[in-house]
Amino acid sequence: MITVRIPTPLRSLTGGEEAVQVSGETLRDVIASLEGKHPGIKERLLDDKGVRRFVNIYVGDEDVRFLDGLETKLKSGDEISIVPAIAGG
Amino acid sequence: MSTSTRDVLSDKTALVVGMGGLGCPAALCLVRAGVGRVLIADDDPVDVSNLHRQILYDDSDVGRDKCEAARERLAREAAPGQQVESLGTRLLPDNACELVRRADVVLEGADNFATKFLASDACRIAKRPVVHGAAIRFRATVWAVGPEGRPCYRCLFEDLPSEGAQPNCAEAGVMGPVVGLAGALLGDLALSVLAGEPRYGELFSYDGKRDELRSIAVAARAGCALCGQNPSIFEIRESRYIAPSCEA
Repeated sequence: MITVRIPTPLRSLTGGEEAVQVSGETLRDVIASLEGKHPGIKERLLDDKGVRRFVNIYVGDEDVRFLDGLETKLKSGDEISIVPAIAGG
Repeated sequence: MSTSTRDVLSDKTALVVGMGGLGCPAALCLVRAGVGRVLIADDDPVDVSNLHRQILYDDSDVGRDKCEAARERLAREAAPGQQVESLGTRLLPDNACELVRRADVVLEGADNFATKFLASDACRIAKRPVVHGAAIRFRATVWAVGPEGRPCYRCLFEDLPSEGAQPNCAEAGVMGPVVGLAGALLGDLALSVLAGEPRYGELFSYDGKRDELRSIAVAARAGCALCGQNPSIFEIRESRYIAPSCEA
């Protein structure tokens, strides 16, 4: 299983869950699984070009933009972090 | 803090952009640490809705110019010889490069993306390190960028989001303790830069609901318009800092 850590702004879509366990061989699979469990989340992460510009997705410490993007291979035990851009203070 | 570090800091100048929930504690950190000159930039008045998190102001400051109220308070905290200067303006396209050049480090705690990108671009052009901070609801991020970038704010977020695409403080709210912690970290990373021990490119992310602080190494992006292999941003153009309209 893959653990996806859900940032605060997206927890309204996961019923408040801070981490979601999903399966998948690639990031694309994992986001599809997430969407199946929590409809609406895919749209917040992806647009027609791929990962939204104002969202950064990490597998462990690696930004998927520098891996294989949505085709990044995952293995059981991997942890995915989502870092959205924020402004405020 | 060692005497030698304090001596180093006493010769340094820091510019704090945005005297809100991030800038207030960050500026206080700088002054208490002995930074020789602290410049503060903002042009908002103090609002009653600011008081739970903007710790340099109290009820008697409501309606006053933030910069002036902050300068007065910080001056009371300063040791003899330290200077606190209100710039009486926010960071704008026509003053950004000149203002950041006056500092050895810039602390960017603005509440809007336009100012964040402006500070990022101006600091890269002027070759100044900048520490970016942001906080909304229970989440905060803080990270330091070196004078050459690589990585920089545009490596991570590329360009302004569409207007209304991201929530702002007034819409989403800001938890006082969360932004306070982020402001302290903003000050801490700036002091590390001034002391010659910078931690560039490490993005700290704080989750106030889990009380969890994590860090992720941000990688430089080869296609970055500001610091990539073929950069295209060499000057400040006002049109770059206007958010496009929402696509939907």
